[in-house]
Amino acid sequence: MVTEEEIEHVSKLMKIDVDDHKEYVEKVHTMIDYFDILDSAGVESEEISMQEISISNLRDDEYIPYNEKLIEKLKHYKGTYVRAPKMSS
Amino acid sequence: MNLKISALDYIQEVKNGNVSAEDFVAKTLEQIETVDDKLHAFLSVNEKAVEQAREIDKKIKSGEKVGDCFGMPISIKDNLCIKGSKTTCASKMLGDFIAPYDATVITKLKQQDAIFIGKVNMDEFAMGLTTEFSAYGPSKNPWNTEYVPGGSSGGSAVSVSAFECVASLGSDTGGSVRNPASFCSTVGYKPTYGLISRFGLISYANSIEQIGPLTRTVKDTAFMLNQISGIDPNDNTTIDNNNEDYLSGIDSGIEGKKIGVIQEMIGEGIDPAVLSATKQAISKLESLGAICEEVSLDMVKYSVAAYYTITATEAGSNLARYDNLRYGYDFPVEGYEFNSYISKARRNFGPEVTRRMILGGFVPSAGHAGKYFLKALKVKSKLTKEINEVFKKFDLLIAPTVPVLPFKLGEKINDPVALFLLDINTVTANLTGKPAISIPFSHSKGLPIGIQLLANSKQDKLLLRAAYALEQTVTLPEVPL
Repeated sequence: MVTEEEIEHVSKLMKIDVDDHKEYVEKVHTMIDYFDILDSAGVESEEISMQEISISNLRDDEYIPYNEKLIEKLKHYKGTYVRAPKMSS
Repeated sequence: MNLKISALDYIQEVKNGNVSAEDFVAKTLEQIETVDDKLHAFLSVNEKAVEQAREIDKKIKSGEKVGDCFGMPISIKDNLCIKGSKTTCASKMLGDFIAPYDATVITKLKQQDAIFIGKVNMDEFAMGLTTEFSAYGPSKNPWNTEYVPGGSSGGSAVSVSAFECVASLGSDTGGSVRNPASFCSTVGYKPTYGLISRFGLISYANSIEQIGPLTRTVKDTAFMLNQISGIDPNDNTTIDNNNEDYLSGIDSGIEGKKIGVIQEMIGEGIDPAVLSATKQAISKLESLGAICEEVSLDMVKYSVAAYYTITATEAGSNLARYDNLRYGYDFPVEGYEFNSYISKARRNFGPEVTRRMILGGFVPSAGHAGKYFLKALKVKSKLTKEINEVFKKFDLLIAPTVPVLPFKLGEKINDPVALFLLDINTVTANLTGKPAISIPFSHSKGLPIGIQLLANSKQDKLLLRAAYALEQTVTLPEVPL
C-alpha cells in the first residue's frame, strides 16, 4: 500500500509544487491503486525485451553548425551564459 | 467550391484547373472563421496561408514543378514544430515557445507544397483523451458540441471532420490519433513504430509514440503516408520502408485474408451499440471474402496499467527539461533558490501533466520499480510475444477503436480510472509497435463509432488495403454543422 507521504516525497523530488496537495495526492493514489492489477499478470519470469539499434544506424558524430543564436531565444541569459537561480545556500 | 472533398480529389481539381489553391485556402480560412468559435479546433491560424497558396498557383501556371500536395491545407497538432511558429503543446509552459526548426514531417510536407493552415488543439503535452486537459480550453465534437471530440489529437479530428482543413497530422502514444478519429468520424492512422520520423515532435513517451495522419478517406491516409514516412538520420528509431507506395494496390481486396477478433476488446464495459457495430463490420469483412475467427490476447487486461506506467516514466524524464530556464514564460529568477524556482515555475503545468509527472517519478523509483515499472515492461514483452504468435495465424486483427460512444464534456474528467479504460483497445498497438487504423463505420444516437484494424509490423500496406475494403461498404451521414 502506497502512503500519501511517499507520494508527497516523490513530488518534491520531481520538483513539483502544487497548491491543493490533497486533490493531487488522492488522484495519483487512485491511479497507483489501479496499477496493482499488474501483480496478477503473472509475468515475474518474463524477460524484458529491449529495442536494439546497431551502431551503423546512428548518424555520424559530426558538429553541424546552427545558423541562429539559440541562446537569444532564452528568457534569461547574459552573454553566452544561461541565467539560473542560485543554488541552495 | 466544395470544401468537403478528399485530399486526392482536391489534388485532381487543382491539377485540372477547376480550383485554385488560393481560392480553396481562402475558403478554408472562411470556414474556420465561421465554425471554430463553436468548435475550438485551432490554437493558431497561419496568417500567410493565402499568400503561400498564391505562390503555389503561380508555380502551377508557369509550368514549374509542383509538389504532390498542390497547396492542400493541412492542420498540424500543436506538439509538432514548424520553424518560426508558436508550438504550445496546449500548455502554458510553452505559451510563448517559437519552434526554432521544422519537424521532419513538416520539412517533407513543405517540399511537397502543402500549406499548414494552423496549429490545432490537444490535451496538454498529449496527455488525455478528450482535449479537456488543454490549457486553452477543450475542443467540441462537431457531431454534437456538448460531447468531447476525443483526444489527445482532438483538434486534428475536429478540423478534418468540420472541413477546416483537408487532412491533419496528430500523434498517437496510446490511441491519441485513433480515439478522436473514432469520436469525430474520420480516418486515423497509427503506423508501425519507426515508419514516420519523430524528429520535431515534442517528446512524451518516445518508446511507443508515433505521428499519424487523420483524413477523410483511407486513400488520403495512404497518400499522406507516402509523403511523410521513411528513414530519417535525425531519428534513429526510423525504419527503411524502401519508399513504399501505400496507394498502389489499395483496392485489391481482402479475399482469403484471416482476421482475428480480439475477445478482450469486446468484453466487459462495451457499449451495446459499439458491439453491434463491430459485429456488422465483421460480417461485412466476411462478405468481402475474409475469414474471421475469435482470438485471445491475455495481456490486454493489463495493457492499460502497463501503458500508463511506461508513459508516465518516460514523461517524467522528458518533461524534466521544462525548468523555465530553457523553455518557459516570464518569471524572473531573482530571489529564488534553484529548486524552489523550478517547482514554482512548474505550477504552470495543468493538473493532468502534474499528476503524470508525480506518477512518473513514483513508478520507476527505488523500492517501487520492481512492482510497477519493471512489471509493466514485462507485460509489454509478453503482450508483444502474444500478438506475434497471433500474427503467425492471422493477417489482421479487429476490435472497436473505443469501447464506448463519445461522452459529454465534463462527464469523466474527475475519474482518472474511467479515462484509463477508454484506452483499453488502442494501447496494444503502441506497446507492441504494430500499425493500427480507425475507420469511421457507424453511428448511434447521432454519435460516431469507429472500427479498428491492426496488422503486423511493416504490414501497413496490407492494413490500408483492408481498411479501404471495409470503408467501401459504409455510407455515413453528413456532419450536422
